[in-house]
Amino acid sequence: MKDLKHLIYFENLLQDAQNELVTKAVDEGMYALGYNCYYVPETLLNLPGCFSSRLRAPRCVSTDVAGYYMTNRTCPYARSILERAIEGGYNYLNALFGSESCATMERMEEHFALLKPVKNDKFFTTIIDPPMKGDENNLTYYKVQLRTKVLEPLHEHYGIDISEDALRAAIDDHNEISRVITAIGEHRKADNPNITGYEFHVMQLVSQVCPHTMILPYLQETLEELETREPEPKFPFRARVALVGSEIDDPEFTKLIETCGAMVVADRYCYGSFPSREQIEIRDGESAFDAICRHYLHWNQCPRFMDGMKIDQRHHEVERLIREFKADGVIFENMKFCEFWSYEKVLSNHIFTNELHIPCCTIEKEYALGAVGQLRTRFQAFIESLEIKQIQGGK
Amino acid sequence: MKATDKLIAAIDKKLERFDPLWQAENGTGGLRSRYYDKTGVAKWREWRGVKDTFYDYTQWINNLVSMAGMVASAPVPILKGFWEYRWMGSYLGTFMFIDRLFEGYRGTELRIAHQNMHAIVQSLTKRIAFILSNDRRLGGGPDTDKIIPHDETITPLFLKGFKDLYPVPMQTLPEFIICDIDQHIEPYYIDVAESFGLPADVCSRCAAETGVALDDALPLVGKIMLSTNMPCNASEATSMFQRRRIGLPDNPITLAMQHQEKEAIPYSRKELENALAFVEEHYGVKYDWNELFKYATLMNEQNTIELEKWDLFKTPYSPLSGIAESLYRLYSWQSANGTDPYFNKVDRKVIEIMRKCYEDKYLPFGGKTRHRAFLWGPSAVYYTDFPTWTQNCWGITIVLNMDSTMGYNMIDTTDPDKAMDDLTAFTQRACMRHHAVGGWENINAVWEWAKNFNCDMVLMNDNIACKGMLGVHAVMEEQARDLGLHFIFIEHDLEDSRTVSRQDMRNCVNNYMSVVLNEKPLDPTLLEFDDSQAF
Amino acid sequence: MKKVFAFLLKLIGKLLLIALIAFVATFTLYITNGENKLIYYVVRPFLNKHYDAQVRDRRIV
Repeated sequence: MKDLKHLIYFENLLQDAQNELVTKAVDEGMYALGYNCYYVPETLLNLPGCFSSRLRAPRCVSTDVAGYYMTNRTCPYARSILERAIEGGYNYLNALFGSESCATMERMEEHFALLKPVKNDKFFTTIIDPPMKGDENNLTYYKVQLRTKVLEPLHEHYGIDISEDALRAAIDDHNEISRVITAIGEHRKADNPNITGYEFHVMQLVSQVCPHTMILPYLQETLEELETREPEPKFPFRARVALVGSEIDDPEFTKLIETCGAMVVADRYCYGSFPSREQIEIRDGESAFDAICRHYLHWNQCPRFMDGMKIDQRHHEVERLIREFKADGVIFENMKFCEFWSYEKVLSNHIFTNELHIPCCTIEKEYALGAVGQLRTRFQAFIESLEIKQIQGGK
Repeated sequence: MKATDKLIAAIDKKLERFDPLWQAENGTGGLRSRYYDKTGVAKWREWRGVKDTFYDYTQWINNLVSMAGMVASAPVPILKGFWEYRWMGSYLGTFMFIDRLFEGYRGTELRIAHQNMHAIVQSLTKRIAFILSNDRRLGGGPDTDKIIPHDETITPLFLKGFKDLYPVPMQTLPEFIICDIDQHIEPYYIDVAESFGLPADVCSRCAAETGVALDDALPLVGKIMLSTNMPCNASEATSMFQRRRIGLPDNPITLAMQHQEKEAIPYSRKELENALAFVEEHYGVKYDWNELFKYATLMNEQNTIELEKWDLFKTPYSPLSGIAESLYRLYSWQSANGTDPYFNKVDRKVIEIMRKCYEDKYLPFGGKTRHRAFLWGPSAVYYTDFPTWTQNCWGITIVLNMDSTMGYNMIDTTDPDKAMDDLTAFTQRACMRHHAVGGWENINAVWEWAKNFNCDMVLMNDNIACKGMLGVHAVMEEQARDLGLHFIFIEHDLEDSRTVSRQDMRNCVNNYMSVVLNEKPLDPTLLEFDDSQAF
Repeated sequence: MKKVFAFLLKLIGKLLLIALIAFVATFTLYITNGENKLIYYVVRPFLNKHYDAQVRDRRIV
């Protein structure tokens, strides 16, 4: 396929947390608001005058200092983020909005307050207590948390407008970038897509780490480019897979799977587009804030949800993606030391393999892609099994 | 001196060479001398002098009678239970367990310890008989459908408003208690869970719970189950498997993690109310506040006495400390939780003894205490006699354990509305929960607790798989240094003694005491020994 | 009356003897740690053999 015009530019934007667009926005006086987890609605961090910055630690090769603080027996994603903070990689941030989504994430975010690694006088950290069920009581609690730990501190510290109009503007911003990303992602549904999983992953990531207003024109242009982009004459992969799991913010991981022969057609993982790029709808009589909270609670598919409805939802959602994106199988990933995904992986493997009869592969990985030999072997074996299945007519 | 006392003193003098404490003092042996290597099996029971040996013997009989009572009350279900459940076999290690908990105990310490222990034994034996008699897997019983199985970290008290129903913590028998008694039982269940692909780096307690569920080894009782998000991530996740395996309608009670904040109470309260409504719906019963108040009154008395105990713990004159304190508080709070008046009876007796000791300026453990330590962190329960060892080997008294500080607020016994708020605050401060996760302030409280209880040392249990505690490793050490407290991380893998052995745990203390403090052990036979094959 | 008294004495004597025998037996068991040895070396190995031979219904439902 012909190279996408902005792909290299996008790739370069992912080389540092403080990329050129982030620097430009900060220089223009916008407030940079960091977050790690989907539980903190990106939309609330894109109020007028602010921009969201989902934290990554690109090119992080060692977590020695973070390991001293959190031991080397904790999630490498959390450690890498802390390491990058201590290195000074997030000095552009004005605030970090954390979430006690898991114990390690909470401890890592706590260190932003305890060690004060972000060299910014007005920098502050808050950590929400996120809900664990999808019912009314949990929605109410979620609203209280987001109002008292995101909106009100933003207003108090930086005088950010948190009015209904401002929130509606933030929703418009969210819906627009989501519309573009979703439209780009739809191209993966084709039998012979004119986009690779890697390329999409790169674009989804830049939409999360760059100021929306600045990255949007590039994404729109790429969408237009895709309308006419010719796919390879023949589908160049041996299989199609959905990738499900925890924090995957390195497109090289997607590339690894694709170089093994399977196109990643659906991305249901933290930092992926499912969930994150759904349209927020404001219902009749509903405030913009309520709509945001309802939306994020509904779409959140974190394995920490405990009620049967949400557990079923997350499995049905993967099943839906597999169907709609015509995936031959699913890969469940968990970050090493992640309690939630470790359990979810076991349960999902059972559900997909034994109940839904969808080929499933489960792997565990480090945050930084170092030695990938074992992973490559696993993927190759899985893809081979999918191929054999295809040859045997799905039996 | 009475003639009998004279006689006893003469016998004691004659037989003192058999007393391991005397042996340690005189360099002829010690507490470990009477064991067969590795096994934890003693060649003979500890000679504690005539009076204390006889007292220990009577308590052994007392516990034996409770166990015989258990078998007599439901002989067939008990035998079936032994045959069906691997974990039931482990309860046979109870006598050995009690012996090692109170090794080196004499006089008042021994009496209080046994009174506390017998409360647990009598409660547990009744519970085993009750559950097995109603276990569907073993044929069921008259109360099978009247039982409310709930997660072990949910306190049963708030469910006591259902007059004819019996709240029963699900995992207590196969996991929560039995891992105290037998260090080899849970590794079996951990292996079961890992055989399904569960990584070995998750919390071993939760892995064991998962294994019990997957091995189909949970007793089947009740019409519903109440799971919970307490205490931590892995525990939340394991409930997915329990729910599927048990197959009963589940209502997860997800209490606020950041429970110290004011927004937590309305949310958590609603969670409890929803759970009560769920029970009402499935069992067709109404909640009775007067019934609840009856048990809340018992719990309030327990907590009132507990708070008085805390005042006495702050002095050097408390004969209650270490495992006699923490295991009792753990069981009496988390499991009995105001539902068994026997615990009130014991509390009343024990506090009387403690008051007397304070008046008499009684120095426990022969005045050999060198350090007062606060034990912090989810306990390594598979090594329950660790505090006994710290006392006997190094003279480190464990004054209080983190989990002993579970819900100590009083519950209103007149107004249901106020009572519900109180119950919420109470329930949120559950075992392994309220200080290990939920924000920095919860764990940072350790220094204040240690200071208030006049401790010069903090022993921080370092569960190698507890993500909540691992995340604050260095900051805790730095703070201890700044505050001038002795601080020791005790590395362990909770219920998997294969990863970190008991000796490895002891070495954490040995190294600090000998290398940093340059102290000599009270009993050198306890310094290094192999108990890897012990229960 | 004498007969009753003699009978009572005999009974008390017997009870005391039984109590003494019971005490000696149980105290011997206690001090020699007999029950724990029996459990550790005989009962648990037997039970473990049984548990190891069990076919458990081991699955995720």
